[in-house]
Amino acid sequence: MTLSSRRLLGGAMLAAVAGFALLGPLHGADPLRQNLSATLLPPGAGHPLGTDHLGRDMLARLAAGARLSFGYALLAALAAAVPGTLLGLLAALRGGWPERLLLGLADAVQALPALLLVVLVTAFAPGEFLPLYIGVALALWVEFFRISRNTAAGVLARPQVEAARLLGLGTGHILRRHLWPEVAALTATLFAFAAGTAVTTVAALAFVGVGARPPVPEWGSMMTELLPYHAEAPLALLLPALLIFLTVLGLHLLAGRERA
Amino acid sequence: MPSAPLSRRPLLLAAAGLPVLPRPAAAQPAADLFRVVTSQEINGLDPARSGYVFTRMQVLETLVGADDGGLAVPQLARAWTLSEDRLTWRFALREGARFHDGTPVTAVAVAAALERARGQSGLLGTLPAERIAADDGAVLVRTSRPFAPLLAFLAHYSAGILAPAAFEGQAVREMIGSGPYKVSRLLPPQRLEAARWERWDGPAPAIGRVSYLAAGRGETRAAMAEGGQAELVAQLAPETVERLRRNPRVAVDVRAIPRTRLIKLNCASPLFRDVRARHALSLALDRQGMAAALLRSPASTATQLFPPAMAEWHVPALPPLRRDLPEARRLLAELGWQPGPEGILHREGRPFAFTLRTFSDRPELPGLATAMQAQLREAGIDMAVAVVNSGEIPAGHRDGTLEAALMARNFSLVPDPLGTMLQDYGPEGGDWGAMGWSSPALNGVLERLGAVADPAERAALRGRASAILHEELPVIPVSWFDLATAVSRRVAGLAVDPLELSFRIAGARWAG
Amino acid sequence: MGGLIRVLGGRAVQAVLVALLVGTACFLMVRLLPGDMAYRIAASRYGYDLVDGAAAEAVRQELGLDRPWPVQLGAWFGGLLRLDLGVSLASGEEVAEALGIQLGHTLLLSVTALLFSLLIGPPLGALAGLRSGGWWDGALLVLSAALRALPAFVVGIGLMLWLAVEWEWLPVAGVGGWREVILPALTLALGLAAASSRVARDAVAGVVASPFFGFARMKGLDDATAFRRHGVRNAAIPVVAYLGLQLVILIEGVVVVESLFAWPGIGHALVHAVLGRDIPMVQGTALVMGLLFVALNALTDLACWLLDPRRRAA
Repeated sequence: MTLSSRRLLGGAMLAAVAGFALLGPLHGADPLRQNLSATLLPPGAGHPLGTDHLGRDMLARLAAGARLSFGYALLAALAAAVPGTLLGLLAALRGGWPERLLLGLADAVQALPALLLVVLVTAFAPGEFLPLYIGVALALWVEFFRISRNTAAGVLARPQVEAARLLGLGTGHILRRHLWPEVAALTATLFAFAAGTAVTTVAALAFVGVGARPPVPEWGSMMTELLPYHAEAPLALLLPALLIFLTVLGLHLLAGRERA
Repeated sequence: MPSAPLSRRPLLLAAAGLPVLPRPAAAQPAADLFRVVTSQEINGLDPARSGYVFTRMQVLETLVGADDGGLAVPQLARAWTLSEDRLTWRFALREGARFHDGTPVTAVAVAAALERARGQSGLLGTLPAERIAADDGAVLVRTSRPFAPLLAFLAHYSAGILAPAAFEGQAVREMIGSGPYKVSRLLPPQRLEAARWERWDGPAPAIGRVSYLAAGRGETRAAMAEGGQAELVAQLAPETVERLRRNPRVAVDVRAIPRTRLIKLNCASPLFRDVRARHALSLALDRQGMAAALLRSPASTATQLFPPAMAEWHVPALPPLRRDLPEARRLLAELGWQPGPEGILHREGRPFAFTLRTFSDRPELPGLATAMQAQLREAGIDMAVAVVNSGEIPAGHRDGTLEAALMARNFSLVPDPLGTMLQDYGPEGGDWGAMGWSSPALNGVLERLGAVADPAERAALRGRASAILHEELPVIPVSWFDLATAVSRRVAGLAVDPLELSFRIAGARWAG
Repeated sequence: MGGLIRVLGGRAVQAVLVALLVGTACFLMVRLLPGDMAYRIAASRYGYDLVDGAAAEAVRQELGLDRPWPVQLGAWFGGLLRLDLGVSLASGEEVAEALGIQLGHTLLLSVTALLFSLLIGPPLGALAGLRSGGWWDGALLVLSAALRALPAFVVGIGLMLWLAVEWEWLPVAGVGGWREVILPALTLALGLAAASSRVARDAVAGVVASPFFGFARMKGLDDATAFRRHGVRNAAIPVVAYLGLQLVILIEGVVVVESLFAWPGIGHALVHAVLGRDIPMVQGTALVMGLLFVALNALTDLACWLLDPRRRAA
């Protein structure tokens, strides 16, 4: 498969999720409206994707959740990726005390268990989603920082780069020609996963009783709510996962590179 | 391809394909090991903390036990008498009883263990006991006033009797009980193993070894029952019961127990001060729908506070609680509430809005709260749900910030519900009972109940108490409680204890 | 060699800083959280049914929660100097003792999971990287995205129903023997392998596309030999760097798996401690995790240093 067709496919997947978020409400069902006599219905007339354990329309909830999860997950991943990668490059290029300072900072942040970080940030505003994702971003940026710094350090130590330096080519050239292609490749991979991690982390927190406040439809908490019904309504449990899957895979394909 | 077995199997499994290797027999248990799985962790050795694990596993004994109906039966005490003035109880001990360190169970040791338990905060601290002492080989308990529920208090797990060697100062350092099973390995907070105590003075248990595992998730417990990897799985989640009933390996026992899920309201708040507002809230709830869809047990729909399982307190003649939205709206309109923007009721410019606190220690509660949120919304009431630590409910009760809470209340915490009633609906209300509400009539009734011995009068008084709570609704009953237990068909002679005092393994045997 | 000593020395200084930071930060954050601590502690001590105002007041008196906070914090650091982590507010156990048991379980689970993931992730990733754009490359991408999209509890319950209930190969849950560790470890390993296979794939694809690899091929070496001689070392650096990170994420990721498989570990304990406002337990757990992190980083540094001769020379 060529690069452009992979990108096209990835873009199509993301567009499908985004379209789902935008067009879902046209179906007309209220994501919060429950019907206790029509719970865990399979897909059918009236409920194209069935209903959940409270008889709420799955299509409406997934669409409403898409706006929350998709948006926040991308935001969290972006909030982690941009500063993380830039600082990583800076540390590798500059070396010396800024590098030591940044490494120290990254280590300090990481030494506080991310779980604790998220749980604590969340405990200040229980039930809100933004702090949840802020906590996730606070934990994730270090990953970008370390990967980009380690990769860049490795690249800078290569003979070709030393040769370029000796030839008098500037930092800009090294950055463009040698660093960026390598770092961007790994960062794009990380980014796709970080977005997925953000959603599944929120799901994991909901699983242990931290996080979402009902009845907000968010993919991660939806899966937690539906887990007890895994035997009766496996489809309802897997639908949010399917959307996360499309998001993660779409990001991956879109971030595809020449060599890929 | 036959579709029946496949459709029973979850989609995940079907998609994963079938392994080709044969099933090994290794998942079968080691011989003569009875495996118990429940949701409750072992949080320490002190009976006040995790006594329920050790009493249910029959490692730790209490002076008296209770039968299915809550009546006291002999345990460490073989018999007891009550003095004429109904203040002094005298317990004669089983002569041959020995602690697991081999020392005999003496009256002195029992009195010391009870005295220490009374000093800990917790249930026993509320006993109106003046003196607990050893007297001529018997244990004497003298109360400051006639106290009928004393036996029930002594049957509580926090009154478990430990050997003198178990203590180091006030702390419990080792679990040395006197029951038919002796701890052989303890891995808190998850696991306990015990084996037959060879010097047990009763009939030797037919089952030699027992183990206890705390598995917090309902799905995990159900899978263990399904896979035949436990002989007894307690506290089955409602949504797993139906599936397990079809499993030929286990017998599922579902029975009503003296526990009720209810909404506690801050009756001092302007929203709920008027009894009509509380009735309106109650009328807006779809109890049947929740019992059927979420609890999978239509019979658990609460029609009054006490379930029929509590025959002495349940009053069949009370008009059942029901759903009637128009009536709820009418009552609210009477109180001056008018529909405002987005259908939310308003009065003097303020919306009918409050926050309900609940917790996830009981996994069904957040789901019920979410369902009620939508139901109240139909009546124009805007209820937010906060899933918090369970401690936030009594804390909110004390500092007055609590507006409403959804919780489950166990009325047989001591086997006699009167103990719980006195805690919950006394003059100042209770952390897990009424808030900002008090009824002189009810107080009078409860006080008489503690002192009167005549059965007919007691029955009349209990009925009166139930009726007052039903009319006043300081708390709104939502559903009664089913205890679902899966017992392996490899086991015979095991009757589930509705009061959850014991797993009764010592009396069971292997089938066939 | 001097480089190595400098690196490890830096880590030792870091360990001290971590102890100071983690201890103070945990203490302050838990104190700042909303809610009455005494009630929460009483709730985790006696169970929610038995908490009342009297029990909470007793807890407040017993633990001296009224004392000014610098005094309480100072007491904890004083204890730390004597290697005493204090006593859990909730259970009354020695924190160090409780952590010893839980940490052991978590380490066993994590190391097993890591081994499984190493067996699964990097080899599959390397295979995809060698033939980037091939069918396996695409299949692996889809597979890893799917594993990443499923939360650990969904993967865990699927494995549980499949391997333990349907086929009865393994125990469903519990602790005690070696067989119990397999299912939770596998659950964790699949999530880890999803990520490490991607990193390995990208690293290998990078090596394969690099000029020196092309040169090795031109020398007449076949793919496998060329990769073994010139590729593995280069590709391993980002993978090892990533593993260091993963170990930490892993230790935290275990919380879900621990709760699903009834495994008594440190993640489980940490969440309980935060919810129960058990400060010494939070501080102790975070401290141990922090120091573990420093140790793992030191190991990662060491591994990268050994793998990369240029850095050794520098």
